[in-house]
Amino acid sequence: MIFLLALLLAAPAAAAPDLSAEALLRDHLWREVRQAPPGRRPKVGLVLSAGSLRGVAHVGVIQALEDAGFPVDSVAGTSMGAVMGAMYASGMPIKKIREFAATINVGSGNDLSSARLISLLLFDKLLSSEKTEIMLRKGLGGIRFDQTLKPFACVSMDVYTGEAIIFRDGDVAKAVRASMNLPGIFKPLEYRHRFLVDGGVVDYIPVDAARLLGAEWTIASVTETDYTTSRPENVLESLLQVIDIRGAYLSHEQRKQANFLIEPPVGDIGMFEDHRIVEAIEKGIITASARLEAAKESLILASVPKLTDGWGVKAAK
Amino acid sequence: MRPVLLLSLMLLAGPARAWRLWGEASDKKIRPVQELNDARKPREVLAALTPDFVQTLRGTDLRQAYILMGDNLDLLGRADEALGVYQLGVKLFPKNVDLLTRQGDLLHRTGLDEQARVFYMKALVYEPRHFGAQLGLAEIDRRSGFLDRSASHYEIALETLDARADIWRSYAETLLAQRDWATADLALERAGALEPNNPEGIVLTAFARRARGDMTGALLALDEALARGAGVGARRAKALWLVEAERPAEALDEAALILKESPGDAAALWARARAQLALGRSAEALAELAPLTAATRQDFAARAARTLRDRLSSR
Repeated sequence: MIFLLALLLAAPAAAAPDLSAEALLRDHLWREVRQAPPGRRPKVGLVLSAGSLRGVAHVGVIQALEDAGFPVDSVAGTSMGAVMGAMYASGMPIKKIREFAATINVGSGNDLSSARLISLLLFDKLLSSEKTEIMLRKGLGGIRFDQTLKPFACVSMDVYTGEAIIFRDGDVAKAVRASMNLPGIFKPLEYRHRFLVDGGVVDYIPVDAARLLGAEWTIASVTETDYTTSRPENVLESLLQVIDIRGAYLSHEQRKQANFLIEPPVGDIGMFEDHRIVEAIEKGIITASARLEAAKESLILASVPKLTDGWGVKAAK
Repeated sequence: MRPVLLLSLMLLAGPARAWRLWGEASDKKIRPVQELNDARKPREVLAALTPDFVQTLRGTDLRQAYILMGDNLDLLGRADEALGVYQLGVKLFPKNVDLLTRQGDLLHRTGLDEQARVFYMKALVYEPRHFGAQLGLAEIDRRSGFLDRSASHYEIALETLDARADIWRSYAETLLAQRDWATADLALERAGALEPNNPEGIVLTAFARRARGDMTGALLALDEALARGAGVGARRAKALWLVEAERPAEALDEAALILKESPGDAAALWARARAQLALGRSAEALAELAPLTAATRQDFAARAARTLRDRLSSR
């Protein structure tokens, strides 16, 4: 009897579709945005910030956007954002990107063992990030920028001139390696007469790179650090802390350039906490899902002027 | 057929659920209170569960007392007190799946999904296929964007709750969000077989048809839902969808019906403005938008209407 009653009284299932005027209007206009032919809505650029290991949260953001059928016309990323962005732009299925992300750690593709780090400090000789490139090439399959499914750009910095270098052509794996080439640990990558290190130092949220690809409306996933939570205890951690603080200052300025922000709360995830990768990805999904309706509204409002051209508009008298 | 199936399921249930069928050792003092509860008399239940009486209870009776007290406080809209009772119950009986699930449900309803998830997960440790916990997790996962996990939880909950049309519909909604049209159709068929006249189910079918591009079928389903008593929401959808189907004259009429009942309805005003535009009447479209564009309104509909107004005015 109690069991039967429990069956009947089990918590009611979630509400049916929202049929309020606001929700239906949003749904109606979102359909128009999604079905708009080229030129009838702004080109959407997905921008993935730097953020070392925290950047794996971008995968969750991408997954939520994909599930919702959110249009993405181009992708730009810096550092870990470049890694995730390159995979997404290349057409790799989300499931595979997740699998790849789950294997990442600070020494991915590199021998960042304690012995190497001690040698780095004792002999004052920077390490090579060559193995990072090999690992990336394995994941990306040697793809070039002109072969990606969606236009893609990533940002690095020339350590001799301080310039932000935006890569939009050539070999993707090499450019992404340059974009995540952590200064102070890895040797600057000599490529195209430049000496390249991680782009997060100069272009933490590469909205400018997305604009170069033609994006007219940008949605940025930002995985900024909460440096107040970390207490560096060695040279390496101190260096990373300073880079993170610099990145956070930059991020505060650059976030204003994006049309819409998604900020997974991953600020407390340290660079070496690879056991928290799944958590970071899930936070990306949860945060993006919670912001999805607002993101849709923002893109709809940006699209209405262009959409109007298809609505049989004549001059109002 | 269904009672037999249900009985079979219950008999096949694991030992953890068996106490629900035959009961555990009990003094049976709780029975009169249980009867009040079954008769839906919440105030009487609470009056009967005095501290003195509860102190005399043990084992199953005591557990059931916490459940009854929490459930009936909740029924009376005293959710905070109900939560306190469930919390106390969970402290005393940390392995009781019914208390764990109820605490999860209450937290979930108040939006504290991550806290709720902890209780549901605990319940699943003791009873992995507990329908209440599975259902709670299905809803939380859907809301959080984990559509695949949500669908799996619904599937397990539906092993037990297969006679609940509302859950088949929620499951179908998750499948639609995943764009798994074929399975969503099957789920909607099951819901329809259980509650053929339920307008919510028919509206959901309309959404499914529209998502697949069958606009004619979608509008027919909306008509059917309206004929079976669907509210103004279905009519709003119809007005907007008629615009999508490039049937502006009908959209004007449908929206007019809504505006007769609620003059400021944003969806109806927008549908009329769009229909006027489709008929080449921009000035009339501007007039239709006017009530939406008041500077004092900051909602999405108003912002969209102002954007459209500005665009129309600038041409």
